[in-house]
Amino acid sequence: MLKAIIDNIKGLYSLLVGLSITGRFLLSPRQTVHYPRKVIEPENMASYRGPLELVPGDPDPAQSRCISCQMCVRACPGHCLTVTKGASGKSPEVWLYDFTLCCLCAACVESCPTGAIRFSHKVYLVADSREALHLDLLGQLKSSAKQTS
Amino acid sequence: MELSIASFVQIFVAVLLIIGLMVGNAVVMVYFERKGAGFIQRRPGPYEVGPWGTIQAVCDSMKLLGKQIFVPGNVDWILYFAAPILAFFPVLLLFLPIPFGPYLTGLKVDDGILLILAFAGFGVISNILAGWASNNKFGLLGAARAVSQSIAYEIPMILALLAVVFLSGSLNLSEIVENQGSWPWQWNIFVQPLAFFIYLVSMVGETNRAPFDLPEAESELTAGFHTEYSCMGFALFFLSEYANMLLVSFVCATFFLGGWRGPFLDGFWWTFIKAYVLMLFIVWIRWTFPRVRFDQLLNLNWRWLLPLAIINLWITAVAIKFFD
Repeated sequence: MLKAIIDNIKGLYSLLVGLSITGRFLLSPRQTVHYPRKVIEPENMASYRGPLELVPGDPDPAQSRCISCQMCVRACPGHCLTVTKGASGKSPEVWLYDFTLCCLCAACVESCPTGAIRFSHKVYLVADSREALHLDLLGQLKSSAKQTS
Repeated sequence: MELSIASFVQIFVAVLLIIGLMVGNAVVMVYFERKGAGFIQRRPGPYEVGPWGTIQAVCDSMKLLGKQIFVPGNVDWILYFAAPILAFFPVLLLFLPIPFGPYLTGLKVDDGILLILAFAGFGVISNILAGWASNNKFGLLGAARAVSQSIAYEIPMILALLAVVFLSGSLNLSEIVENQGSWPWQWNIFVQPLAFFIYLVSMVGETNRAPFDLPEAESELTAGFHTEYSCMGFALFFLSEYANMLLVSFVCATFFLGGWRGPFLDGFWWTFIKAYVLMLFIVWIRWTFPRVRFDQLLNLNWRWLLPLAIINLWITAVAIKFFD
């Protein structure tokens, strides 16, 4: 009986603790942003997994670091990557990525021996068809290199 | 009380004002409830409609008015449509004896609190009818829960109020307010803290609000007794829920927090300030505590609140006998 009373008084105290936590949250600043007017700061986007992108090469940003070893193609559980080696050298000729099949598991990023693949931070990516999500990553790399230069 | 044209006009005006208060209260409280939920969960809440989302509740009610009345098959038609009406209209009567201000009282009756407690039972009847008539297992389960919960929580509520009635020696709400002073330490909450606490818990239980919202527990019973109601049927239940919240807050303000008496200047504003602080407290509780299990709900009542209320009442009676 005495134990039950003490337990219930402790329970009442825990209710007060809960109220103080939500009360503090009530008065503290909001954590979300209104999308069209404000966007999330880049430092908070570092851990966001968007669609894959190729890492720009060191001397020439239009060239990929990829050596067409096919490790990522084999590691991918969803079979969403297509990498074809070019006629001369190791650099790829075709680098296709089907975002509709991708589960963002990072198996390709981990398996890449040269660190040529990474996740982009495209939060606001929108497509109106499936075909629009079949991405040509080499083409993207070239166009972004052209934009920055 | 003699029945004359003047008293009839007084009641008529009072009922009109109370309808305005009920509807305005629902619109304002829906906004504050959603804003409060948003702020506690660290998001902005309604934001897009009007400045800071203030017109959101009005838009929602317009949408509710414009919806089709959908009646499922095999319902009991008379009871199905009687239930929301029965939920809404008795609440008008409950506001009549509340002393909002020294002169602002709809109906000054000698046993105002008896009137309130007697007609508060209509809310439960409407819940039972709604659950039974809508021919739905969730509705019926919600109705069954509503009955046992309301019966359970009405008893400690009455006992807690009775302790204050013993102190004041009157069932008249205006006299109970006049017996309290203007300053906070002269209010009944300092003479009867335990009764205030018991009332606070059972008022949340009585209005079926979280964490005691078992009759309409969304995750278990979809919407409980009003699962099958759409459009105005649902709107009336919704209105009456918020009106009941406001009513228990007014009763609490009257009994424990000095009613229209307050520091510096007595007046109806103190009643409204106290009642709305209590309303916001109910909202705060809702977004803080998870829903209790049904056996926990009844255990809390029958094993703790009821014995405590009886002991409190007994001590009050003895103290009045010996020290008064």
